[in-house]
Formats: sequence, C-alpha cells, structure tokens
Amino acid sequence: MNSARQNAQDAFRRTGDFTCVAVAALFLAGFAALAVKLRDVQVENVASLAYDAARQSVRRVRVPGERGRILAADGTVLAANRPARTIVVNAEAFQRRTWEATASNILAAVERASAFVGRESRLTADDIRRHIRRNLARPLVAWKDVTDDELARFAENECEMPGLSCTESAERFYPQGSLAAHLVGYVGRDRVEASEGDERMNYVDFEMCGRGGLEDRYDSFLRGVPGERKLTVDARGFACREWTVVEPQKGPDLVLTIDMALQTAAERELAGCKGACVVMDPRDGAVLAMASSPGYDPNDFVPSLPARLWEDLSRDPGKPLLNRATQGTYAPGSTFKPVTAFAGMSAGLSPTAAYDCSGAYRVGRMKIRCSHAWGHWSGRLDLANALKESCNPYFCDFAVRAGTNALITAARASGLGAKTGIDFSVEAAGVVPDDEWKRAHWHERWYPGDLPQMAIGQGMLLVTPLQMARLAGAIGTGYMVRPHLKAGEPPERTSLPFPKWQCDIVRDGLCRVVNAPGGTGWRAGDGVSVKVAGKTGTAEVGTGETRRKNTWFMGYAPAENPTVALAIVVENGETGGSTAAPKAREILKARF
Amino acid sequence: MGKLLRFNWLMFGAMAVLIALGTVSIWSAGGAREAVFHGLWKSHLASAVAGLAIYFALAFTDYRYTVRIASPFAYGAALVMLVAVLFFGDTFYGGRRWLWFFQPSEVAKLCTIMFLASLVTWNDGDGVRAVKLEESDDADAAEPGGSGKKGFALFALAAAVAGVPALLILAEPDLGTTLALAPAVVVMLVAAGVWRKGLFTALGVAAVAVSLVLGAVWEAERPGQDDEKRAAILRHVPLKPHQVKRVKTFLFPESDPMGAGYNLRQSLIAIGSGGVTGKGLGKGEANRLKYLPPSVSMNDFIFCVYAEETGYIGSLALLALFSALCLCGAWTAWRSRDACGRVLALGITTLIFAHAYINIAMGVGLLPITGLPLPFMSSGRTFLLVAMAGLGLVQSVSIHN
Repeated sequence: MNSARQNAQDAFRRTGDFTCVAVAALFLAGFAALAVKLRDVQVENVASLAYDAARQSVRRVRVPGERGRILAADGTVLAANRPARTIVVNAEAFQRRTWEATASNILAAVERASAFVGRESRLTADDIRRHIRRNLARPLVAWKDVTDDELARFAENECEMPGLSCTESAERFYPQGSLAAHLVGYVGRDRVEASEGDERMNYVDFEMCGRGGLEDRYDSFLRGVPGERKLTVDARGFACREWTVVEPQKGPDLVLTIDMALQTAAERELAGCKGACVVMDPRDGAVLAMASSPGYDPNDFVPSLPARLWEDLSRDPGKPLLNRATQGTYAPGSTFKPVTAFAGMSAGLSPTAAYDCSGAYRVGRMKIRCSHAWGHWSGRLDLANALKESCNPYFCDFAVRAGTNALITAARASGLGAKTGIDFSVEAAGVVPDDEWKRAHWHERWYPGDLPQMAIGQGMLLVTPLQMARLAGAIGTGYMVRPHLKAGEPPERTSLPFPKWQCDIVRDGLCRVVNAPGGTGWRAGDGVSVKVAGKTGTAEVGTGETRRKNTWFMGYAPAENPTVALAIVVENGETGGSTAAPKAREILKARF
Repeated sequence: MGKLLRFNWLMFGAMAVLIALGTVSIWSAGGAREAVFHGLWKSHLASAVAGLAIYFALAFTDYRYTVRIASPFAYGAALVMLVAVLFFGDTFYGGRRWLWFFQPSEVAKLCTIMFLASLVTWNDGDGVRAVKLEESDDADAAEPGGSGKKGFALFALAAAVAGVPALLILAEPDLGTTLALAPAVVVMLVAAGVWRKGLFTALGVAAVAVSLVLGAVWEAERPGQDDEKRAAILRHVPLKPHQVKRVKTFLFPESDPMGAGYNLRQSLIAIGSGGVTGKGLGKGEANRLKYLPPSVSMNDFIFCVYAEETGYIGSLALLALFSALCLCGAWTAWRSRDACGRVLALGITTLIFAHAYINIAMGVGLLPITGLPLPFMSSGRTFLLVAMAGLGLVQSVSIHN
C-alpha cells in the first residue's frame, strides 16, 4: 500500500515534472527568440529604421537669408527691406477627421477672426484645399500687410483665435520710389523649386528673386545664404515641432557708383519726355547716373504686380519697362560724326583740307541736305569746323572718300555694334551695318547711298545711349573703359586705335561745338563752371506720318581733363542743340 | 502567516512592475491622442487596484475550492455572456466584443481554463488519494495524478469544453483571443495526461494544417500569381479576406507598405528607431506623431510605444519580467502536490505567455498581426482584471501547496 502510493507519487512527479520543465523551457525559448529578433530590430537595423522614421516624419524647409540692400555711392538707400506683418493660420490646430471638414473648420475660423481683425480675408475654400494638399505643414497666410490698428485688434483678441498667429517677414522696399527704377530693377517671387545638396528641400519659404536691373544681375550676390529649418509632421502631415538647423545669413549690401545728385538731375531733366541719359566717369568707367523715361515705381512689383497694372505697363506705347539707357537703340545722328572723322583721318584724308558745302550732298538720286540749306556762310570748312557746324555734306564726302571699310572699322573701334560689357542684366549691342548684315536682315545688297547715310549717323546704324556716353568719354581721354555700376570694380581700359593728333583735332571740334560762336551745342556749356566739349545730334526716323526726330547730346567735361562723360537722347525733340543740349547742361550743373 | 511565507513575492513583484511600465506607456500613448485619452493611465492604475483585490482574494482562497466548486458556474456564466455579446454586444474596430463595460471573451478564457483544470483532474484528487482508488502497478497506470480514465472520451469532453467558447469567440470575430487560448488548453491536456498519443497526433495534424494554409496563401499571393488561380486557391482556404490579408502581409511584408503592411512597418519603425537606449519616456515620435495607428497604440501596439521609448534595454527588461513571471508559474506548477494545481498553474501561465509572446512577436514581424493585448501593459480593463485574477489563482497554488 505504502509502496504503491510511493510509486504513484513517483510517477506523478516523473511525468509531471517533465511537463513543467518542458513548458518552462518553451517559455524561455520563446522569450529568447524574441530577444534575438528584437536585437536584430533595435540594434542591428536601427540605422535604417531610424532613417525610415526620420524620412517619414521630418521635413526640410529652406529659409531665405535677408536680401542685401542696394546703396548709391553716398549711401542713399535705393532698395531695402521692410518688415511685413502677416496673420497666418496653423492648420494643425484645426484638424478634423476628414480633410474637407478640416478645410471648412479653417475657413470658419478665418471668418470668425475677420470680425476681430476688421478686414475680410481673401482666402477662399479652394485656397485652403490647395494649401492642405501642398503646404499642410506650413503656415497659411490669411491677411497680408497687417496695419498697426489691425495688429492691435488681433493681439487683443488673440486668445479667442487659437491657431492663428502673427508673423513678420522681410519685404522688398524701394525708398526712392521710381528713382533709378530701371537701374535697380525689382524683385518677384522666386518660383524655382529649390534643391540643394543631395536631399531636396520639402518646403521653400517665400523668397524674392531679382527680376530686372541690378536686382537680377546681382541676385546671387544680394541673396545671402539660405538657412534651414526642420519640422516633424505627424502621420497625416500636420506640423508638430519646428526647429532651426542652420540660421540664414543676410546678404551683403550692394554699393553702386551712382551719384545721387547726377541721377536726380538726369531724372528731373527727362521727366515728361521719352528718352534716356547715361553719365559716367570716363577714367574708370563708373556709371554716375543712368536714367530712362518714362519709368515706373518698383514698389508696385512687390510682392507681385497686380494684373491690371501689368497690362497698363506692358501696353503703354511709351514702354516704361524698357531701360532705354542700355536697351534702347537709336540712330545716333550727328553724334556719330566724330567716328566718321576718325575714319577719314585714319584713311589718310587731311583734316585741314577745305570743303565747300553747297547745302546738300548728292549720291545717285538721293540728296542729303545740310542743316544750312544754302551752304555754310564761312563757305569752306575744315574738319574741326565741320564738326562745330555739323555739316552733313562734309562728312558724307569725307566718308565716301575714306571708303566703307574704313568707316565700319572706325565705328567698331569706337565700341559701337557690340555690348559694352556693363554689369547689368540686359544690354543691347546696337548695329554697325555692313554688306553681310544688310543682306541678312534687309535682304538687299550694300548700295552706294548707304555709306553717306551712315557717315551722318542715319540709315541702319543703331547705338545705345550707354555706348555713346562711353564714346564721348573715350574721345576726351583717349581710351575706352568698360562701364560698371558696382563700386570698387577695377577699371578696364583699352586705348582707342586712333593716334593722339587725330584725337586732338576731334576734341578741338567738340570744344567748338559747345564753346565757339555758332556751335550747335552752345546751350550745353551755358552756366557750367568748367569747359564742356560735346556733339549734338538730330536723327530722323520714320517716314511720312511717323516721321520724328530723336535728339542727342553727347559730351564730356572738363574739356581738358574729362571727369564726366554723358550722353542723352530725347525722343521726338526738335534738334539736339535746342532739346538735348540744355538738358545736358542742367545735368552737368549738378556736378560743376 | 504561513501563507505569507509561501506567497511568491517574485511573481507578484514582476506583475507589479509590469503594471507600472504599462501605466507609463499608456500615459505616453494617450498623450498622442485626443484629450479624452490623456487620463487613461489613471483608469489603468485604478483597474490594477481593483485587480489587486481580486488577486489577493483568489490567492488566499484555496484554489481547490475555487476550481472544484466555482468554476462550473463561472464557465456557464461565461458561455451565457459569450452568446449574449453576439446579440447585444457593442461593435468596435470590426468586432462585436463588448458587453456593457467588459469583454466576455477575456473572462471566458480564464473560466474555460479553470473549468478545464477541474474537468481533466476531476478524479485525481490530490495525487495521493488517487492511488488509493487504483492500486495497480502496471505502466499504463503510471499516468500523472493517478488512475482516472483519461482516454479519448475525456479528451473529447475537454475539447468540447474548450471548443464551444473558442468558437463563440471566433464568431465575434476575435481570432487573437482564440489563438492565445489554444496553447494553454494543449499544455493543460498534456500536463493532465489526457489521451496522450491521440493528443500528440492531433498536434501534428494541426501543425500540418497550419503549414498547408500558410503554403496555400503563399502560393496564392506570391508576386506574379494570376488572379484566377489566386481566387481558385483562396476558395479552399478557411480564412476570411481580412485574415488572408494579414497572413499575406506577414509572408510578404513589403507588398503593401502603405496599406495592409502599414501597421507592421510602422511598428517596426517605432521599435527599431528606439535603438539601444530608447528615446526617453514620453518622447516616442512614432507614437506622438501618430504613425503608430492611434486607435490601437494603447492596446495591441503598446509594446511598440514602450520599446521606442526605452530601447533594447527596456525590451530586454520587459522580456526578463515576463520570463520571471512565467518561470515562477512553471515552478509553482512543479511544486504543486496535486494535478489540479499543476494543470491550473500551467494553463494560466501558458495563457499569459501566449499573450506576451504573440503580442511582441507580431510587433517585430515574427507572427501575422492580430489583435491581442499585452498582459498588464495594454490598456483594457477586462483583460487586466482577468490576467491579475489568473495570477491570483497561480499564487493560490503556490500558497496552498
């Protein structure tokens, strides 16, 4: 009995113990397997899984650096940034189960807040839906350009509008308004999808980019270094946390060579008419003033130009958006005559030989009239006096005797027909025509009549005011410079391929234009404290009804040792002497 | 006093620490959700306090009384509730599982284990008395606990007792709970020595069946399989479409990372991004940013929340706690002087183990995703109370032997 009981007890223990141990081993094996697998997940693959976690939840935001200012030489601010306040909606505060409900929740909140701000928001339901689709994690702008009053009302009631906040950003601002507008240019929204480095930015904060003028030309210089922010988004894409990774850096200021006195004077003189003016220092190429009329106010372009205004500007027959100083191409008229003079002298013609002007020059059936319809009183002209009186037949004759090639070579050597290389966004090259050019563009051969036309700056010849200002300076100094607008650029000089004696004769002629009795440009020197040298020009363009005159003056001062060179063109003027020269004088008075 | 000495403090301590960790994880997971859920950790703690009352009550009552006398009534009540829930239950997340404020299926698991323990050892006595009934010495009689007729009839009865609630739970449908019950039942039958040969054969058949089903799903869903053939194969697979989808996700986790594979992928990202040391309590981003499905992050995915915040060190600590708990249970069973205590302790411990193992294994992709709470950690009043009551019974086995 006892042993049987013992046996049964033993059996119970034997098999039962085995079950217990086996089950315990099973437990241990199970948890050990989990430990091994977890080691795999949490230790071995942690890098890739952590990367996955970051990739699905972290977004990169490119934050633009503040744009540098643009200053005139004396420090006058031409372009700066002003703080622009906006009231934004943070979508994550308005989450609902569906996107549609979220959108209407945001819209309702904006409408409620309108009462507090005191102004209707321009946000529509579609705007909000688009924002949810594309920019969910970023703030949505509900009110732009918030005034102090509106801000005060908003701040008072801010606690009643959770999810709305006021932010400040920099907006481009042109304190001088339309002054030097073509030169400075304007900015617009940068629409380029920024991609930097290996990984793309997910969001790009509003960034300005130069759209015209120096804002465009020096865009990368002004922009500064963009910073980076990161934000985490939840599974639905709402922003949760935001922090700065790299602080953006402000762009450097761009200091120009512009002289405010000259620039103001130039714009004042051009006001009310169509035309352009360039004033530069012929010694180093520094552009002292560059004006184009009519103009516009670049502040209208920030942050974006209203469509109506754009229509007006682009349809305006006066073409206010065109920078005539560098892009406007005009027939130079008589201001080209110094080039003809160089061409003739280089071809071996005597500058002192007398020419008898009969009042007109005939070539074939064409008749080129002199401004003195009955010939010159003095009768016989030498080169310097021909320049002074701007005698057309003299230069026609001079050029015909020198030959086409001599004239074209001299024109090109004077920097015409090619870009000056100024540090500006757009520049026209102008045209110095030759046989090949004419065949290509006019589908005609070079006629004998083309040469005398070109000799007096008419016909197919086209130049920009900038080229003429540089040419005027080059005649005064004897060397060509590359014009530039950014201060501190080293001067780039190339000497004129004309010997000094030729230059002296032309300079003498240009001095007489302004200073000798009977000179066409006498009005340019009247009341200026230094001696001015220059050349007037009156270019006839169009025929019949559309016939009009573009009037020129180009010159330099002081005549002996020029420090200022200028060219001014006024469309639809009377003559260079009566329209352009007085304006040139007023501009020069700002300096001398 | 003697009872307090025999009280297994290690088992109790491990449970208490697990509940504390669960509370912290629920606090973290709830923080990522709507304000209603922010205080959920408090109700978890409150349930735990209520659970402690049940725990001690059951622990200091002799389990023999509980099992022999109360379990038939408990089992009957559980069946009634399981039927009731099918008609009157509240539906959440695609399953009709709630009756008023609790889940009958969780209660039914414990009741079934208790009743089964009573049934398979009904004539064993305490293993000493049993010998008196049968004084044979032959080898066949050397079955645990003595002599009772433990052939196919008892097996069939046991299978019916376990099968009826299991089928009712499956009907809810709640596959996970059924799966967790199965290993407990098998271990109890083995421990009680019911129809051993047949049982092992049945286990073998079940293993083959599972392999066949997995193989069939693999063949049907493998990339490049044409739709007609796929439909033809799946017609013979006894799984519902959403279950097939989960098995498919398990077999081919990359097949649909934003759809069916989303939960697994997010769970892996959460656990993995925790690294060795974790991100710190309350700082789990996958959880905070709601990449872990917020609806289940506090329940079935609580381990992900925990593992992301505590890292591999925390995971190992958790596994160590569960191991301690389960080994204590096994040790209690080993120490038990009667078959009833042993079978009961093993059954309950296996249930806890199955829950913990399946829950964590599905989080790391070792098993298909199925809804199953992690004992003591997941937020869920019913299962917390049931698990604590179960451990109370195990404690009772420890105390009363």
